[in-house]
Amino acid sequence: MDEALTGRRVLWGAVRGQWRDVAVSSVLTSGHQIGETLVPVLIGLAVDRAIGRGDGGALLLWLAVLAVVYLGLSWGFRLGAGAGERAGARAAHGLRTALVRRVLDPRGGAADGRLPGALATIATEDARRVGAVNVAVFAGVAALVAIVVAAVVLLRVSLPLGLLVLLGTPALLAAGHLLSKPLERRSHAEQERAAHASAVAADLIGGLRVLKGVGAESAAVRRYRRISGESLTATVRAARAEAWQNGTVLALTGTFIAIVALIGGRLAAAGDISLGDLVTAVGLALLLLGPLQVLAWVNTEFAQARASAARIAEVLASPAAVPPGDAEPARPVRGHVRLTGVTCGTLRGLDLEARPGELVGVVAADPADAVALLRCLGRERDPDDGAVELDGVRLASLDPGDVRREILVAPHDADLFDGTPLDNVSAAARLDARAALTAAGADDVDAAAPVGEGGRSLSGGQRQRVALARALAADAPVLVLHDPTTAVDAVTEARIADGIRALRTGRTTIVVTTSPALLAVTDRVVLLTGGRAADTAPHAELVDRHDDYRTAVLA
Amino acid sequence: MTPSPETPETPESPGAPDALLPTASGARVRAVLGELVRPHRELAAAGFTVLAAATGVGLVTAPALGRVVDIVADHRPASAVTPVAVLLVAVAVVQGLATAAGLSLVSRLGETVLARLRERFVERALSLPLAEVERAGTGDLTARVTGDVSLVAEAVRRALPELVRSSLAIVLTLAAMALLDWRFLLAALVALPVQVATARWYVRRATSLYARQRIETGKQQQRLLDSIGGGATVRAFRLEDDHTERVARSSGSVVDWTLRGVHLVLRFYNRLHVAEFAGLAAVLAAGFWLVRGGSVSVGTATAAALYFHNLFAPMNTVLVLLDDAQAAAAGLARLVGVADRPAAEATGRPVPAEATVSAKGVEHAYLPDRPVLHGVDLDLRAGERVALVGASGAGKTTLARIVAGVHPPTGGTVRLGGVALDELGPDATRRAVALVTQEVHVFAGPLADDLRLARPDASDADLRRALDRVGALGWAEALPEGLDTVVGEGGHRLTGAQAQQLALARLVLADPPVAVLDEATAEAGSTGARALERSAAAAVEGRTALIVAHRLTQAAAADRVLVMDGGRVVESGTHAELRDAGGRYAELWAAWSGSRTAP
Repeated sequence: MDEALTGRRVLWGAVRGQWRDVAVSSVLTSGHQIGETLVPVLIGLAVDRAIGRGDGGALLLWLAVLAVVYLGLSWGFRLGAGAGERAGARAAHGLRTALVRRVLDPRGGAADGRLPGALATIATEDARRVGAVNVAVFAGVAALVAIVVAAVVLLRVSLPLGLLVLLGTPALLAAGHLLSKPLERRSHAEQERAAHASAVAADLIGGLRVLKGVGAESAAVRRYRRISGESLTATVRAARAEAWQNGTVLALTGTFIAIVALIGGRLAAAGDISLGDLVTAVGLALLLLGPLQVLAWVNTEFAQARASAARIAEVLASPAAVPPGDAEPARPVRGHVRLTGVTCGTLRGLDLEARPGELVGVVAADPADAVALLRCLGRERDPDDGAVELDGVRLASLDPGDVRREILVAPHDADLFDGTPLDNVSAAARLDARAALTAAGADDVDAAAPVGEGGRSLSGGQRQRVALARALAADAPVLVLHDPTTAVDAVTEARIADGIRALRTGRTTIVVTTSPALLAVTDRVVLLTGGRAADTAPHAELVDRHDDYRTAVLA
Repeated sequence: MTPSPETPETPESPGAPDALLPTASGARVRAVLGELVRPHRELAAAGFTVLAAATGVGLVTAPALGRVVDIVADHRPASAVTPVAVLLVAVAVVQGLATAAGLSLVSRLGETVLARLRERFVERALSLPLAEVERAGTGDLTARVTGDVSLVAEAVRRALPELVRSSLAIVLTLAAMALLDWRFLLAALVALPVQVATARWYVRRATSLYARQRIETGKQQQRLLDSIGGGATVRAFRLEDDHTERVARSSGSVVDWTLRGVHLVLRFYNRLHVAEFAGLAAVLAAGFWLVRGGSVSVGTATAAALYFHNLFAPMNTVLVLLDDAQAAAAGLARLVGVADRPAAEATGRPVPAEATVSAKGVEHAYLPDRPVLHGVDLDLRAGERVALVGASGAGKTTLARIVAGVHPPTGGTVRLGGVALDELGPDATRRAVALVTQEVHVFAGPLADDLRLARPDASDADLRRALDRVGALGWAEALPEGLDTVVGEGGHRLTGAQAQQLALARLVLADPPVAVLDEATAEAGSTGARALERSAAAAVEGRTALIVAHRLTQAAAADRVLVMDGGRVVESGTHAELRDAGGRYAELWAAWSGSRTAP
């Protein structure tokens, strides 16, 4: 992935990709803004030319003009905003897809150090924010156009009055902003504290079964009342700060209108401007606040989008966990796995071999050794020293995607995906899914009922067995299983051991486990201690001769 | 990780809820809200009065501006404008102050009522019988406490003050127009039929559209979490393209529904523009006729036109907020549905003195025609440790939950210290018997707070002792801030085994005479399991314990082993007796210890 990818490039890419829609919406919504600006002008003209002079024909004329302006502003908004919103949504969609593609990329690295929830937030919220820049662009262009039009009209009415309004409105907004700044900061901090109550409630409900298990409901309710009370105090304070901010802005605006009325009124009374001009000026003074506020909003929108774009760029540009390789795997794959002097994580010069068709058990006294071994076998990382080979080809010289097509490392905490158990097992199956389900002891699971969110409709044991069935069904030349039966009862476990043995006949299989039932069906077992192979022999022999092994497996 | 308990035969999965929790009727929602507002009547009255005053004062602006127009039209001296300008400044200041005060009061009212409602919700939710929660799925409760609470909170925070202000502005502005001349009001009302029709048109479409939008967004979030969270699995099985495609499809559908929403809103504004134009033209025409007829001055006609122009903003606000208000009302109905449940009664019955457990003829069926237990008898002496062993689906978990009082059995009775559970009541049962399952949940917050849920008055020394007993003190003290370290969601992440030890420490602190452990050591992976077994053994030391075990080492360490098969107890005896008896247990033990030969 592009290492030089920055937030700025992500941001501009989001706009550039949608430039047609953005251009159309900028033009059309500018038309809308001009129309909105013209409405008070037209009110002024109608008062001046028709009502003030009692001219019925003029009234009809100006009402007709008003109708045309409304038609234009209304459709300009509908079509323009529609195009702009479309640009925003599509840009967000593009980013979301690119993010997921990067996160799931076989080279890995994008998900390291990031929680799934945080990545999902980046793919939804941050992508949305960056996409919304398209909306900010058209709204900003339209606001600028409106300001220019209002400025032209005002300066034509009267230079001093025009200048007063044009300089006064930004000053007014700035003053409002300045006054509200400390309030805003406080309000933000307090709103965050307020959000805490809702998080605590969700957490307590999430642990409902656990609370009931130890009879802690009333303690939990008391705790929640206290936190909710604190949160209430914070929210009320935040709401008060916001209310005073609103009140201040209202008072400032009113004062400003009073000044415009004072100066405009004196100019009109002196005959320097017409009655209609006065009404227009007062109307525009009020109206200008709108586009100016939009500009301020565009500014914050861009600031937020920049931050979001930076987060997106960081994920998209995250370095790959393993470099790509260009060697070809040996064909046909025989499934000969050999580790020589592998130092990786906690492994210290590990030698390990699984010959084609062998079923090898690996017992790791330290779980960290098991994890490091699995990561190296799946080429999720390359060893610091030594080599992992498949049929004599170093894994580090192969593309990680190719490695995983030949060596399937089925993780212990395997995730089931949305769909039925059958969908899950079939997703990567080369064998009959039903046969795999039977071998994994999962024939009692309803294979056609949805597994629910994260597989939660199934029990822990059922989930584990369906995941095992999926790994068996893939029929990979080399299959590496990690603790596949921890949530399974002893009877079923023995059945599963036989199933694995039968289904993997002639294929290389490595089972990393301390379960005696599984180890009993292996051809031989390798005992890992201190990051290296301490002993290797059939299970029964190791039970007899190795104390460490007995403690690790049977104690 | 929070796996559901092993109950493959139960219909209680969250994926297929067959009985959602209740939703309150409109009348009940109003009644409960009335009940919650009643203690704050004065606050409510004050808030609305002050806001009304603020809006009323603001209405002076338009006629004052009209007055300036009149001064000019009548060719009066320029100095006559000054007092009007001073009046305008005074109006602005008073309006600002009153608005601030009024909004503060209304927000305080809304927030207080919301806080009381969510407290009541949580209280009632936690006292729901577990069987009922599981029928509906905890997902429903969680969705209510997060989604619906924030929906209502957002409405209270944003929509309520705006709605009150805008409504007041509309009513008072129309009144002011009528004061100028009643015919102006008639002209303004020309816009009304269009607005009412538009609002009804919009709400009719918006409700279902936004509901669908929320569903699609939720699905997208789920898809993302599914694929990203399972990234390792996706890569291992080479499913990258498949999953990217899934997310893209889901995201495409969100884009689709978002744009449908946008178009609906834009059409809505389109129609409102028609209303604005019609009303404005009518007010200008009315001004023309009234001025020509000599009923009002040009200034008054100007004021009327400005009033109407000023109505655009609050009108649009109210119409747009209608939608929020409707969503909030639906959320409120779901909250009140739970908050309106009767409060749990504390029977105050003492815990039975003797820690014996006796079950007679216990039968159970989750579905009427699929019995899971067939007349199970069980007797635990005080302080006896009994292991329950058997294949998946043998009924171990169901029996454990019935003994723990979580599920009432469909037949037979369970007695604790000689007292039947239904006589004892849920309150005393909870104090007498604790259930620890493989479902671990670390409560967000300091570790010490998590533990104190089990015993609120525990001292720091108590906490340390409990942790020490289950072998967790070492890692707990090694946490960045010891027992004050924030753990759980958003905090320091504990491993599955640590979380399970925490659950056992809670059991020690709750200190019930009877403990039921349901595969409390299953999630640790095979290496961690042994350490957890030691923790579990220490936690139940001195208690009567029923332990559902899948690692037979736990069975070997128990005083007695019960073997279940097909919903019946088929063997009972000590580990040694059963191992040598050549029955079901002997077979299990052989499989477990790997002493059989490979086929």
